[in-house]
Amino acid sequence: MSPPASTEPPATPVPSPSLGLEIRGVSKAFPNVQALSDVSLEARSGEILAFLGENGAGKSTLLKVINGDYQPDIGTLTLDGQPLRFANPLDAHRAGIRVIYQEPEIIPGVDVAENICVGELPGRGGFVDRRLLETRVRADLDRYGFSAALPMGLMGDMLSPAQRQLVEIMRAIKSNVRVLALDEPTSSLTDDEVQRLFALVRRLRDEGVAIIYVSHRIREILQLADRVAILRDGRLIAVRPAADLTEEEIVRLMVGRDLTAMFQRRRAVTDRVVLRAEHIASNWHHDVSFYVRAGEVVGFAGLVGAGRTELAKVVFGELPRDSGSVFVDGRLVSIRRPSDAVTEGIGYAPEDRKREGLILMRSVLENASLAVLQRLSRFHFIQRRMERRLAGEYIERLRVRTPSLEQEVGKLSGGNQQKVVLARWLAAKPKVLILDEPTRGIDVGAKAEIYHLIDDLANQGLGVMFISSDLPEILGLSDRIYVMQNGRISGELPGPGATEEQVLALAMVDHLSRADPVPKSTAPEEGLAG
Amino acid sequence: MSEAPAGEVDGPATPPISPFRTALARVASVVRPVVRFIGAENLSLVIVLAIEIAVIVSQTKFFLGQQNLLNSLGQNIAVLGVLAVGESLVIIAGALDISVGSIAGIAGVAAALVVTGTGSMQLGLVAGIMAGICAGLVNGSIVAFLRVNPIIATLGTFAAFRGVAFLIAPNGYPVGVGTQPDFTWLGSGRILGGGGFVGIPIILIILIFVAIVGHVLLRYTDFGRSIYALGGNATAARLAGINLTRVRLGMYVFCGMTAGLSGVLLAARTTSGSPLNGQGMELQAITAVFLGGAATTGGKGTVVGTVLAVLILGVLSNGMNLLGVQQYWQDVATGMLLVTSVAIAQFRALRSERARTRIASRG
Repeated sequence: MSPPASTEPPATPVPSPSLGLEIRGVSKAFPNVQALSDVSLEARSGEILAFLGENGAGKSTLLKVINGDYQPDIGTLTLDGQPLRFANPLDAHRAGIRVIYQEPEIIPGVDVAENICVGELPGRGGFVDRRLLETRVRADLDRYGFSAALPMGLMGDMLSPAQRQLVEIMRAIKSNVRVLALDEPTSSLTDDEVQRLFALVRRLRDEGVAIIYVSHRIREILQLADRVAILRDGRLIAVRPAADLTEEEIVRLMVGRDLTAMFQRRRAVTDRVVLRAEHIASNWHHDVSFYVRAGEVVGFAGLVGAGRTELAKVVFGELPRDSGSVFVDGRLVSIRRPSDAVTEGIGYAPEDRKREGLILMRSVLENASLAVLQRLSRFHFIQRRMERRLAGEYIERLRVRTPSLEQEVGKLSGGNQQKVVLARWLAAKPKVLILDEPTRGIDVGAKAEIYHLIDDLANQGLGVMFISSDLPEILGLSDRIYVMQNGRISGELPGPGATEEQVLALAMVDHLSRADPVPKSTAPEEGLAG
Repeated sequence: MSEAPAGEVDGPATPPISPFRTALARVASVVRPVVRFIGAENLSLVIVLAIEIAVIVSQTKFFLGQQNLLNSLGQNIAVLGVLAVGESLVIIAGALDISVGSIAGIAGVAAALVVTGTGSMQLGLVAGIMAGICAGLVNGSIVAFLRVNPIIATLGTFAAFRGVAFLIAPNGYPVGVGTQPDFTWLGSGRILGGGGFVGIPIILIILIFVAIVGHVLLRYTDFGRSIYALGGNATAARLAGINLTRVRLGMYVFCGMTAGLSGVLLAARTTSGSPLNGQGMELQAITAVFLGGAATTGGKGTVVGTVLAVLILGVLSNGMNLLGVQQYWQDVATGMLLVTSVAIAQFRALRSERARTRIASRG
């Protein structure tokens, strides 16, 4: 299908724009989302091109198009002037294109040497020729100076995240890679490992590989990349030489939308603190303290992986907590499992509604009443009329489009599924509701309804802990915003008046250079008035 | 995305009213409550059962005789039926209990010992059921507290409980209860006989009672709802505030209780509390539950389906006995029936799954 680009190395290194990977007019739509619209850019051989953008800007989709996971709706890819058409990632590999995702596939029970050569082990009479294998792998490792960092005999399941990345990169190098894309490669690496990875990437660039580098860390990108492409809402906003850009400028380019009309907020913040977490420490967190008042929408912003979902789950009793305390309505509560949290009046609508929120094969009714079964039951018998009335009321209020309460939840659309989860928690009448990415993957209309609902709930005196990676909605809805970075709260902002730049700076810019990296969250008395 | 998949949320347009349709509606109004009780998902079981009976009736006139229906068939399915009702709850919750046959063994010996010691049928019955409850508690604790995979946990207790049955039997010998008519009445007694009617076996009444309890528990209580939720998506159930530990304990206790009861019935029917009683019945019970439409992944299944499956298996074996078919062929037929029915269910699930993802991807 694809031209065998790898068998024909560029004999004449003419510095023409056709050399390298060229993306022309690529668009890709998903239901209700235009993930990419008319993106054109080229990753030139011997150059490091960085992709930057907010969550959902289209970086991952673009990588998946390059890797052959997705086929573009329109638009073309060409490599060294040859048109490409991938049916699947294997085609892309054959053409010399490799995308390395954050979690490389490593075979746990096999050592580094065999992991690197997986699929093309040198054989002899049906057996693996270990000696030949080791000679080859050693030569490769020596060439790039990784024989110390990546012991050849180490088993796959013993590898650190950095070593896993290296294995994946070595696989790519072996297969005569022409275009190498790295998706957030440094998110789990130490500083030292990052520097070593950079050295490798630069070396590959100098050997003529086109490098695409995706990261949230702006400083890193400025350090490494030759050119920076900035994406926003599936569009290419700018492509500039890295030398011409500053951190502030990049943040400014990444931001910039007007969605304010969707966010109508009445302010109803009271003085009563309904949820307070103090000095929470866990596997994912270091000393996190925060509070939510009745009638308040508290936004939790931060990058994916900053520990927001984990924070919600620790407070809710789903993930273990090492230390710290949780107060509901000023009373210290012991939450050891989610059912304790529900009893104390906390609700949690999880991010992944299919895997964590819904019983897909059961009915709308059963899903909606799941959190209130005990309250609906007398001597353990569910009072069915009461159940139907309660579930029906919220299903109607949230305008869930379903033919009946008996409909299987799995057969509803994503937005309606999300509303069923919300209906469950509204029926439970909690004091605090934790909403984890409540608008992910749903269409604009349903989003607007959910924003309206959040406002309603706060107005009725509920405290809302609102986790979202969508900056405009965090800014538009929150009374107060906590920004998280690397398992800490890196800052607290008043909701009204906060800017995307401020939030992004707190979420992304490294505080390591600062004297006091973790600004303490203020007590409610000193906090801003709603 | 142009095709309209099944189960789309928009209702069909109202059709024009015709005489044929009104007649159809009248029939439907009679049939609908029946279907609702049986459950639409169990209709195919009813059809299989009907075909099976039709074939057997066409071959032998003995099948429909009350002696055969109430004695040979009725009494034969009861012990397995009671066992399978308990197993249903566990399987619907996405777990498994392999130890039920061994629990039945313990319960039979315990009941026989108490009956021969005290002469009281009631005490024997209670002893058997209590033994089952204790065994269920052990299973439930291993799964809920020690977090051992249900298959491994009950595979372990499957062996251990059988050993216990031998340990409590004097020198490992069966305890005869032939001299205790009160007790054996549980297994072979009948009521409401007279005239030309042989009477309804007590054991069948017990099965019906247990089936109703199981049905009500699953369908009308918070416990039953939690079982479906746990089997359908354990994470979602936990995050909705359901205490899964309690549900897991409860379902194993119920399953142990029914296994205990069926052990008592088996001892009463065979007039012997043998430590070997119930061997192999765990697999028959599991077969019945899966044949009855329970999903291996949990979240799906009904007691009605299980009981229908027990009937199908019972009629199959009874009919083949009447027709003089060798036991080996019966085993082959049972096995093929299970595999075929699950294969069909799998095929249908796959089809509806495709339709579902198509809709879900529309956002």
